[in-house]
Amino acid sequence: MSFHIQSDVSIRRSGLRRRDFLKFIPGAAAATGLLSWQDLLAANAPALRKAGKACILLWMGGGPSQFETFDPKPGHSNGGDTKTIKTSLPGVEFADSLPLLAKSVDDLCLIRSMSAKEGQHPRATFLMHTGYLPSPAVKYPTFGSIVAKEIGDPASEIPSFVRIGAGQGANASAMGSAGILGVDYDPLALTAAGRPPENTALSTDEKRFQRRLGLLDRLQGDYANHGGQQEVGDHQKIYAQAARLVLSPKMTGFDLDKEPQKVKDLYGSSAFGQACLLARRLVETGVTFVEISHGPWDTHQDNFNRTRTLNGQIDQPIAALLADLKSRGLLDSTLIIWTGEFGRTPRINPNKGRDHFPRAFTSVLAGGGIKGGQVIGATDEGGEAVKDRPVSVNDLLRTACHSLSIDADKQNMSSIGRPIKIVDGGEVVKEAFA
Amino acid sequence: MHMHSHTSTGVSRHSYDRDQKKAQAMSIQKICNRFASAVVLGLLSAVGLWAAEDPQRVAAETDRLLREEVPFASAAKKAPPCIDDERFLRRVSLDIIGRLPTPEEVTIFALDPSPDKRTRIVNKLLADLRYGENCGRYWRDVIMYRRTEERLQFIGSMATIEPYLIESFNKNKPWSQIATEFITATGNGSENGNCALIIAQQGRPEEIAAEISRIFLGVQIQCAQCHDHPTDSWKREQFHELAAFFPRVATRPPQIQPMARELMVAALDVEVPASRRRPINNTMRFFGTLEHHMSDPKEPQSEGKLMQPVFFATGDALPTGTKDAQRRGKLAEWITKKDNPFFAKAFVNRLWAELTGEGFYEPVDDIGPDRHATAPKTLDFLAREFTDHDYDVKWLLRTITATELYQLPSGPRRGPEDPPMQQNVAQRLRADQIFDNLLLVLEASEPPQPGFLPAAVNLPNVGLRGGRPRSQFMTAFGYDPSSHRDEVQSSIPQALTLMNSPLVAGTLRGSGNTMLARKLAEIHDDSALTQELFLRVLGREASQSELTTCLQFAKQINNRTEAFEDILWSLVNSAEFLHRS
Repeated sequence: MSFHIQSDVSIRRSGLRRRDFLKFIPGAAAATGLLSWQDLLAANAPALRKAGKACILLWMGGGPSQFETFDPKPGHSNGGDTKTIKTSLPGVEFADSLPLLAKSVDDLCLIRSMSAKEGQHPRATFLMHTGYLPSPAVKYPTFGSIVAKEIGDPASEIPSFVRIGAGQGANASAMGSAGILGVDYDPLALTAAGRPPENTALSTDEKRFQRRLGLLDRLQGDYANHGGQQEVGDHQKIYAQAARLVLSPKMTGFDLDKEPQKVKDLYGSSAFGQACLLARRLVETGVTFVEISHGPWDTHQDNFNRTRTLNGQIDQPIAALLADLKSRGLLDSTLIIWTGEFGRTPRINPNKGRDHFPRAFTSVLAGGGIKGGQVIGATDEGGEAVKDRPVSVNDLLRTACHSLSIDADKQNMSSIGRPIKIVDGGEVVKEAFA
Repeated sequence: MHMHSHTSTGVSRHSYDRDQKKAQAMSIQKICNRFASAVVLGLLSAVGLWAAEDPQRVAAETDRLLREEVPFASAAKKAPPCIDDERFLRRVSLDIIGRLPTPEEVTIFALDPSPDKRTRIVNKLLADLRYGENCGRYWRDVIMYRRTEERLQFIGSMATIEPYLIESFNKNKPWSQIATEFITATGNGSENGNCALIIAQQGRPEEIAAEISRIFLGVQIQCAQCHDHPTDSWKREQFHELAAFFPRVATRPPQIQPMARELMVAALDVEVPASRRRPINNTMRFFGTLEHHMSDPKEPQSEGKLMQPVFFATGDALPTGTKDAQRRGKLAEWITKKDNPFFAKAFVNRLWAELTGEGFYEPVDDIGPDRHATAPKTLDFLAREFTDHDYDVKWLLRTITATELYQLPSGPRRGPEDPPMQQNVAQRLRADQIFDNLLLVLEASEPPQPGFLPAAVNLPNVGLRGGRPRSQFMTAFGYDPSSHRDEVQSSIPQALTLMNSPLVAGTLRGSGNTMLARKLAEIHDDSALTQELFLRVLGREASQSELTTCLQFAKQINNRTEAFEDILWSLVNSAEFLHRS
């Protein structure tokens, strides 16, 4: 029960230190003292969201093959049967089952020199999400929670971090949670786009729901007066937030039926397409971090046919997401990350599959101030090693922090008072930015 | 266990032995006549009478020492009155069997005139098989919340931990025996629940060492894994000397096959060639190594320094080359031996924190030599008694529940400047407890598990959506029981689960085959029905003002079924229902 834990908790609960907050608002308004803390938060929410920055993580669980997506090796025996398609960048080709993304190359920054060591799904998944290997001692926070805490709108009615479809593919648990940051920054998880979040549909009509909340409030007084004031206070706060969430007009952000058919068609009707459309709606609504799972990309067997199918599921939606964000003026403030936990082996196994390969693989960035139309780093002829400019997981995370105006060296405290940096080591990939 | 709970649960000192004696007594009964068996049972209950006073004696001395170290800060400088019977029964039922008392139990307890009824109810609850369930699930969470093994196909290999722990606590195995069984585990995890700790850390020596130290000793020595501990006196070498008890351990499927779904704890005392050690696609430790090496931070690629197994707390050591069975066997012996102060203190500190709401050390698993305890003499005394009672867990529960602090009214968690241990502190119930209480108060049965995982898989954070309601509750309400209770926060998904989830909404209804429908038909008086619901959901009667509020509400709604549905909803959604206070 040391002091720093106490103060840490109070920061968590309010989401933001008053001192930090005062830096953001005009002196006069603060000095008048006429506005309440909540009013100030609401009035300045956009400023607090660091000019509306947001991030969409397209999580390719299972580990996508770089050979069959963004780093094909035609003409080399490791390349297999994969045909390629030209992009507008000289010498840069994609697998031919990504024709629309090949056309969008001007928005994409390919990092073909990702390099890591972890070859086991959950450990590598955890590493890519947190920048740390799993440890029994510290629950490292997942990147979405970090972003929600650092640049999310603390006054928002709906959570700043939404995770879609994590049930499929890699284990959701290895994708991490808020951990040491506290439950305020945990993801709101959706099984799929197109359905409201779990338990947000009222079990009675709204009038009766309000009536019940009123009765609940009146019945809590006795317990609060008999030693339970702390629990009742916390409970009332959470119930007020939960009620605000289910009754919020922003909940329509989850409703895809509100989109015109023309826009829906742009994204296509696949689950991933719907999730991308939902991500855009949520970012518009004020959600700061959306994570969409797609896969499984774990193609130990029948790699070529399966990757082709998977490519078919992502090509149109991602191209649509880029175009749609751009046309709404949101692409510059929205960072998009496409990555899995690792890549796949250059060697093709006897089952026409590829196995886990963390040593050299591709991640893709777009939006959020990233300079598109470029390739960073390179693998050798057979894709067996990084030939030029290796980029580590922490380099990638640090680059994402830079795009989102997050101080990657900031430290959070673990439960036993150990300071944990947002990203430990690594360097910003400077050339990624315009 | 149930058959003679009243007469002999007081036999605490060697209750595990007692079970064996009971078994012997049964076989004697077969051979001899009734007279002989009556003599044996008579002797047992005589021992019981002697031992029953023992927790009271230790509790009284604990109270005395505690108030010497942390006097009451109130103006009166003395303890406030103890809680009433209703509140005591609710608290002790939640603490021991993880469930609320039923309305009948509350009434019977309140009417019981005997002066030692609080002692007797504790004994009765400890003999209830749900005691082992509650205690076992707590320790399951202690171990499983820190697991690094997340591969879904192997989760089932760790699910055996729950039945293993339930049985162990119900048999009242000494804590030293449970610790030994975890440390020395071998074999298939799907069969041996004690393998789960090692499987949870993927058979990695450093992680296993860190967890064994944290769980059984309350020492966070893993901070010294990479560098000398910044605030503790541990040196990096000492951590790696502890890891050196485990290099020969590994976890792997019993048969190497692509779709393997089981893991075993395997130990090899022969060198495995490097070529066989790492199967494709996997950085899992399939095979251990003969010795542990401490890596050189300056040359991470080199083998590092060969470490000898040395146990930091006692200085006991083994030569390199020692076989695995002996390494882990000796370590377990040294960890649980009487002159290792950390072992008993770590357990007492945890249980004390669970039962009174405030540990001598917090967080409960950080009691290393450079940390400062609130009331260190009290903790030392209680830990010594626990050791002298051969780490008898039920004895410790009897003792702490008999202390004054346990029976004080509950209040909020104190601020950093407030005096410690002035009152009992309310704690959020664990996910299983909330779920079981919902089933209990609403008279609902647990919905069956839909496919995929065996029913026995109750693990926190498995991350399965669409699983059965218990797993959904664990996802929403679960928390790591080692975490600082300040950090156990309420969350929006928790509120949404109780507000709106189909399970709760469906079983709350006042029509159909539900508890409320039955009560509405049975009890025609609205006051009586209100009291029934309060007793059931909160374990106490409604106060006058609460009663008035409910009756006015019912009158206003003018639809009895709807009104009581709303009242029941409010009680189930209250902070009080979610807390043990």
